Amino acid sequence: MTLLLKAESITKRYGAVVALSDGGLELEQGEIHALLGANGCGKSTLCKIIAGTVAKNSGTLSILGRAVEIGGPREAEALGVALFYQELSLVPQLSVADNIFLGREQRSGAGFLDARALRRDTEQLIARFAEVAGAGFSADALVSDLSPDQRQIVEILKVLARKPRIIIFDEATAALDRNQVALFFAILRELKAEGVSSIFITHRMDEVFEITDRITVMRNGATVARFVTAETDRQAVVHAMVGDVTALAERPAARPRSDKPARLVLESVGNKRVQQVSLSLRPGEIVGLGGLQGQGQSSLLQGLFGAAPFTSGTIRLDGEQVRISRPSHAIGKGIAYVSGDRGRDAAFHGRSIFENIAAASFSKERPAMVWPGRLRERFTKAAATLSTKYAGLSAPIGSLSGGNQQKIFIARWLATQPSVLLLDDPTKGIDLGAKADFFALARRLADEGAAILFYSSEDAELLSLCDRILVFNSGAVAGELEGEALTAYNLTNAAYGRAA
Amino acid sequence: MTPARTNPAMAALRNRVWLVTLSALIALFVINWILQPNLVTPNVLKSNLTVFLPVVLVAIGQSYVILGGDIDLSVGSIVALVNVVTVSVIAALGGGVPAIFAGIGAGILTGVACGLVNGLLIAGLRFQAIVTTFATGIIFGGLALRILPTAGLPVPAEYWRTYGGAVLGLPVVLWVLILALVIIAIIARRPFIKHLSAVGGLRQAAFQSGLPVARIRILAYVLAGLFAAFASLCLTGETASGDPLMGRLLALSSISAVVLGGAALAGGSGSAFGAVLGALVLGMIGNVIFFARFPFEYQTLIQGLITLLALAGGVLVARR
Ligand SMILES: Nc1ncnc2c1ncn2[C@@H]1O[C@H](COP(=O)(O)OP(=O)(O)OP(=O)(O)O)[C@@H](O)[C@H]1O
Ligand SMILES: [Mg+2]
Repeated sequence: MTLLLKAESITKRYGAVVALSDGGLELEQGEIHALLGANGCGKSTLCKIIAGTVAKNSGTLSILGRAVEIGGPREAEALGVALFYQELSLVPQLSVADNIFLGREQRSGAGFLDARALRRDTEQLIARFAEVAGAGFSADALVSDLSPDQRQIVEILKVLARKPRIIIFDEATAALDRNQVALFFAILRELKAEGVSSIFITHRMDEVFEITDRITVMRNGATVARFVTAETDRQAVVHAMVGDVTALAERPAARPRSDKPARLVLESVGNKRVQQVSLSLRPGEIVGLGGLQGQGQSSLLQGLFGAAPFTSGTIRLDGEQVRISRPSHAIGKGIAYVSGDRGRDAAFHGRSIFENIAAASFSKERPAMVWPGRLRERFTKAAATLSTKYAGLSAPIGSLSGGNQQKIFIARWLATQPSVLLLDDPTKGIDLGAKADFFALARRLADEGAAILFYSSEDAELLSLCDRILVFNSGAVAGELEGEALTAYNLTNAAYGRAA
Repeated sequence: MTPARTNPAMAALRNRVWLVTLSALIALFVINWILQPNLVTPNVLKSNLTVFLPVVLVAIGQSYVILGGDIDLSVGSIVALVNVVTVSVIAALGGGVPAIFAGIGAGILTGVACGLVNGLLIAGLRFQAIVTTFATGIIFGGLALRILPTAGLPVPAEYWRTYGGAVLGLPVVLWVLILALVIIAIIARRPFIKHLSAVGGLRQAAFQSGLPVARIRILAYVLAGLFAAFASLCLTGETASGDPLMGRLLALSSISAVVLGGAALAGGSGSAFGAVLGALVLGMIGNVIFFARFPFEYQTLIQGLITLLALAGGVLVARR
């Protein structure tokens, strides 16, 4: 084996925040290497330094034994390094094709854009994902019109189109469903066979053991452990990452259905992407929305929240018929919506963490005046429940790691004390420990009487949190699993439309 | 949100807001024709184009800056500065044909230099675009007054006669428009335009994709300066003399034209061709109001209302 890339004692400070104190990584030719660690431990920062978008303070990088200084993304590309950005590097206003080949457009002899070659090359790349990408995924589609998983696929293709020999995938699977991940892994294996090396960051342990050869673990800005995947186990790795944590809470033993009257009843509601969905949700219940990616789960939640309002059917809240055609209606009625699509749905870029948390509380409570002092205390508590790592409430949201940003958006809605909580892939990018805390918190909210609808792109999450699961297919409920029937096997079968 | 299954016609329109601008232009043209039956005669069309051309040219340059997510409030002052530089150089060199060419060259260089200054301050030193070009606009205007304190200094007859004349049977003003359209067609087919859209759409993503962000933004400002210089040379041909206060309203009308042409002020979408249509719409609105013989005191009011109406069409299409 030849050592392809070596990063040694890398440090990086942002003002007073130390993002990296001793980052290190050794990548061999043709391996798939997991880079693991809790939220905010410095994984993305280390990768951005390798990819030239962030300048290190000290430390050394070498490729094939030769020390290199990577001054910018261009230079990284010249060295054959490409990075899948956790927060994506796509321009919403441009098409899929333009994004994939941005900066390396096909040109005709005179230096003009070669639209035909662009289209041909894009379609070639897209073809691989055609089966799993879902509706509306084409070379000409605008990136702003794509769903979160589709945008991740574009980012993957953008990286692949650069034909690098070192690829860093920073949470490339966070919004992908099982099929999409499977295809992605198939591609990773092909690349590996061609001698390409990949660094793979994820918070999903199953994926680590399925695909990677070796593991590097970081903690608080430093590299603390290295493993050979085949020679270790999950417990050892998790322990290196976060110390002792409680495993994901087991689903509580099936409890008797409470006979309280339903909190939320939907009668054949529909919007652009869901049809004729009916369901009933009692206080204290956590109901999962399962199925393959993009079968209408998110659209149902967005419909309920008024972001993509229902055009048919009725919504009853505590027995009373309500109309929700705008998010402000929903918020006023105690409905909260946590989106995993933070880049587009949730973040006020460039604003402080305080303002980002406050947004939902303000629209619910409509205070005439704001006393930041009092809110500060409340928000600090909300953020602390998920052990969010941040410098202070007035720091800009962009200074947080991806997972910590997501925790802020969860805190935003928890601070409103909702009676109906809509979770739309809420754990995207948050680490194991925080996920366990979050699940416990959701359970506690339910026990206090909230009703919760939960969509996740990861089946294991649904199975561990939900009392029952509605399986979606093509915008409609195709099946329902409950009690004994809640198994991974049944869930998979139901997702493909076979009887459970 | 989830990808909406909008009907394809609407989707196609959303990416081509300029189609709406084109419809508005046609509608205004027809109304103008009804109000002014001799509109479609070579002379009237030519004089209309002569009036509209400076705004069209400035709007083209402005459209690149706006596509890149910036703005240029100094283009009006660049027009003035280019004008006084041109007439001064021509006068200083004695006013012959070579002097005219030297003057035109000096004017174009002045426009490019002004754009370069803007670009370096904004993309290089990371100053705020609005405030910076507001300030440089005052400086360029001040320089113009310093060079030529009062209007005057006529240009030689060869200059304005040529500009008002015809070449190969077509008026020179039309040739200028054709040339401008050819230039924007060329730019629209270069990778530069994609890079500029990316820089205006999401600067972070453009940087991460390896684009030379600062260089691209500077180039957009240089284009704005260049097209402002073209506009100034045209205005000089029309007025036939120097005027340090020339073009004062051009910054705002060029921005309006760009937005009317379907661009987002936030950057990342829009086209120079749309800006041309937007500028023509602005001009036609002025015509219609003039020929409809509204009482003088209502003209400005109605002009504002029609402009809003034209804008509304694009907004309705672009909104989801
Ligand atoms: N631009 C910035 N300004 C200030 N602090 C920053 C900035 N970027 C990152 N940090 C800080 O550096 C630390 C490491 O962040 P990084 O994004 O590398 O974490 P990560 O390991 O990728 O976490 P996650 O799993 O949540 O993505 C965090 O504490 C973060 O707050
Ligand atoms: Mg990260």
